[in-house]
Amino acid sequence: MTDARMPTGTLILDRVLRFIPHAILLLLLIGLWELAARIGWITSIMIPRPSAIGAAIFKLYITEGTIYRHFFITLTEAVVGFLIGASVAVGLAVASSMSEVFKRYVIPYAVVLNVTPGIALTPVIIAWFGYGMGSKIALAAILCFFPIFVNTLTGLVQVDEDREELFASLGASPRQVFAKLRVPAALPLLFAGLKIGLTTALIGAVVAEFAQATDGVGVLMSRFSFQLNMAASIATLLSMTVIGLLLFYTMEFLDDRIVFWRRESRRAAASRAAARTWLGQLGK
Amino acid sequence: MRLQQAIADDIVVSGRGVGKTFANGTVVALKNADFDIKRGSFVSLVGPSGCGKSTLLRLVSGLIAPTSGQVNVHDTPVDGPRSDISMMFQKATLLEWRTALENVLLPTEIAGTPTKADKKRAYDLLKLVGLGDFAFSFPAQLSGGMQQRVALARLLQTGADILLLDEPFGALDEFTRERLNTELMRIVAEIGATTIFVTHNISEAIFLADQVFVMTSRPGQVAKIIDVDLERPRPLSIQTSPEFNALVADVRETLGAV
Amino acid sequence: MVAVQHVGDDRTAGNAARNLRNRRILAHAAIFVILIATWEIASRLGWLDPLFYPRPSNIMRSFWLIYVQNGNVWYHLGVTMSLVFMGFIGGSVLGIVLGSLVGLNPTLRRFLKPYVIVLEATPRIAVAPLLIAALGFGVTSKIAIIVLVCFFAPFINTLSGVMNVNAEKLELFKAMGASKWQILRKLVLPDAIPVIMAGERLALTAALSGALVAEFIQRDQGIGSLILVYTRNLNMASAFACIFTLTILGFLIFRGMEIIDQYIAFWKHEGGRDRVSAKRRAAMGPQT
Repeated sequence: MTDARMPTGTLILDRVLRFIPHAILLLLLIGLWELAARIGWITSIMIPRPSAIGAAIFKLYITEGTIYRHFFITLTEAVVGFLIGASVAVGLAVASSMSEVFKRYVIPYAVVLNVTPGIALTPVIIAWFGYGMGSKIALAAILCFFPIFVNTLTGLVQVDEDREELFASLGASPRQVFAKLRVPAALPLLFAGLKIGLTTALIGAVVAEFAQATDGVGVLMSRFSFQLNMAASIATLLSMTVIGLLLFYTMEFLDDRIVFWRRESRRAAASRAAARTWLGQLGK
Repeated sequence: MRLQQAIADDIVVSGRGVGKTFANGTVVALKNADFDIKRGSFVSLVGPSGCGKSTLLRLVSGLIAPTSGQVNVHDTPVDGPRSDISMMFQKATLLEWRTALENVLLPTEIAGTPTKADKKRAYDLLKLVGLGDFAFSFPAQLSGGMQQRVALARLLQTGADILLLDEPFGALDEFTRERLNTELMRIVAEIGATTIFVTHNISEAIFLADQVFVMTSRPGQVAKIIDVDLERPRPLSIQTSPEFNALVADVRETLGAV
Repeated sequence: MVAVQHVGDDRTAGNAARNLRNRRILAHAAIFVILIATWEIASRLGWLDPLFYPRPSNIMRSFWLIYVQNGNVWYHLGVTMSLVFMGFIGGSVLGIVLGSLVGLNPTLRRFLKPYVIVLEATPRIAVAPLLIAALGFGVTSKIAIIVLVCFFAPFINTLSGVMNVNAEKLELFKAMGASKWQILRKLVLPDAIPVIMAGERLALTAALSGALVAEFIQRDQGIGSLILVYTRNLNMASAFACIFTLTILGFLIFRGMEIIDQYIAFWKHEGGRDRVSAKRRAAMGPQT
């Protein structure tokens, strides 16, 4: 069985070629912006020139290296908050899917939590959890709870009658139905919820930092802004983008690996891996 | 208005050397087709997947242009969708935000502003296909068969005399399909329309048509044109008659031979 | 023994269903009351420091205070809501217009794609301090923040809705010889409405959050500032009263959007379908 794949060399070249027009456009835009600033079309101190932003980035990352600590702190706040919120959300969702009664009495409170803008809780959370990382983690956890909860529950509760009938005809026990049917079927929605949750957790961490904190990219950005150091502020904002992209692509990677049957490229790779394992076991 | 007894001998749809290739000539969807279709006749295009039947239909409709040859309708070449040709697809494709009546009116709306007469016509067509009581229902409230009947009414709304149908009842169960096919033949005969009907079902192709274009694949082409001289109107029972079976055998042979 | 359907069976079934529902509502209410009571008792016993964890009774008292006695919550709520409204309209219009333009233009879409991805990954609300510093304290920066925050969902959803038109419907329109403008008006836009509405719901939620963050930073007016001030003064009861006010508001917004959806995307709702059916039938006149 031949595998119709392009040789890796052409694949990389293709990607590089497609990247070039984007790179050109970006350089053009930055160039125009810089030009406009130098000529005097953009005079406001509020809009720093790209070279100033670049200098700020250099200073933050290389010369003074101040950003790494803050970067790491915000990242930790977001991730830990996400893990806590996600665990509680998934746990409650699983419990709700297994017990109709539990679901019925948990749902109203989940709805109330959803309908309240979580951000409104920020001052209270800070009063309760203090000025350190604790409050940021708490807000992140609270904000990311609902999307994960509702997506996971929807995923677990959805019923495909044909599949239910198949499992019933095979005499599967409720535990087997849960493990072999409900959980895999719920994974796509679960991951969709996790992606939203991770983004929301980052927002929670950053907003809590705005309100009250000493460390973190949110605070840094806030501080630079109020010192009217716009270049550094934007440089810090870009770091936040980096955190966001990091989190997003990590989740994409996990999604791709765990819910492998959704993407064609992964299906082929998973097929091959399965073939190797199985044929190996069969001694071929 | 029953013209089927006196099918005029004039040709309303003709093709000369009609061909269609894709991807710079590497994929031959249809190889040179030559055909003449008389006014008021019912033509079936039958064959397996890839034989080019849907392609040929779309070439006649003007949705795609031929890479070689030419299709003429009413003695003028086809170079795009036109008002004397109306088309029906495999999926009912109704717009969910419009009532059945508004869906039937859609072609008239596209062509211009619907008049009161147009609206009455749409309503009458819905009554004709048996959906008078559902004129103001939404597609979500109609079954698959009912949706296809709305699509059928929409097909007839413009009053075009060339009707093209691409496996319109394929997704329905056999009983509904047979009923709709019989209805289709009755309506088409009544208004004197020329019909081209695509299907992959041999019995259906023969049952409906005056002429069957047997199409084969690799490359797509019209292998044979078989005349069907059975009586009209066609009762369902004709499908078990020896003449019918002979025709089926003929078609199968043509399909198997290539 | 033959099972016989008695005349009163339907009514009994109806009654049984009603009884079940009433019992459930009672159960919900009971649980709620028990939770509140436990909270109250724990607070009075000193298990929960009343300074940080306000008693339900105090919260209720605060409700009375801020709503009736000095009624200051109405003003602040009004301030916040007008900002939310203005920012929401601005962000939605911007998002829908740009989303349509980009969605309909493949070249534009291709070149904007990396910037959209970057924009999506950045927490847009993080730009709040920047905007406040750049535009100064006051209403302008607040509205700018709200517009920025609630622009994204309508933009992405409109983009997606306009792009993902059903291929068969498109073919149908082409077969009828429809012009590009007709396809846009009669197919693309109605088709995209449900997705756009979903984006709008997200935008409204985001707008409220954006307003609150702006108020946290500026600390001048609005219900966000109120919550901040109360918390700083350790008047947790009033802070919670404000938070629950937002819960009620959030619920009203949620219901409001549902009702609007029933009118705009009527064909997705059974009630909406029936209503418009009847309306169209009546409009057709007595000839039916």
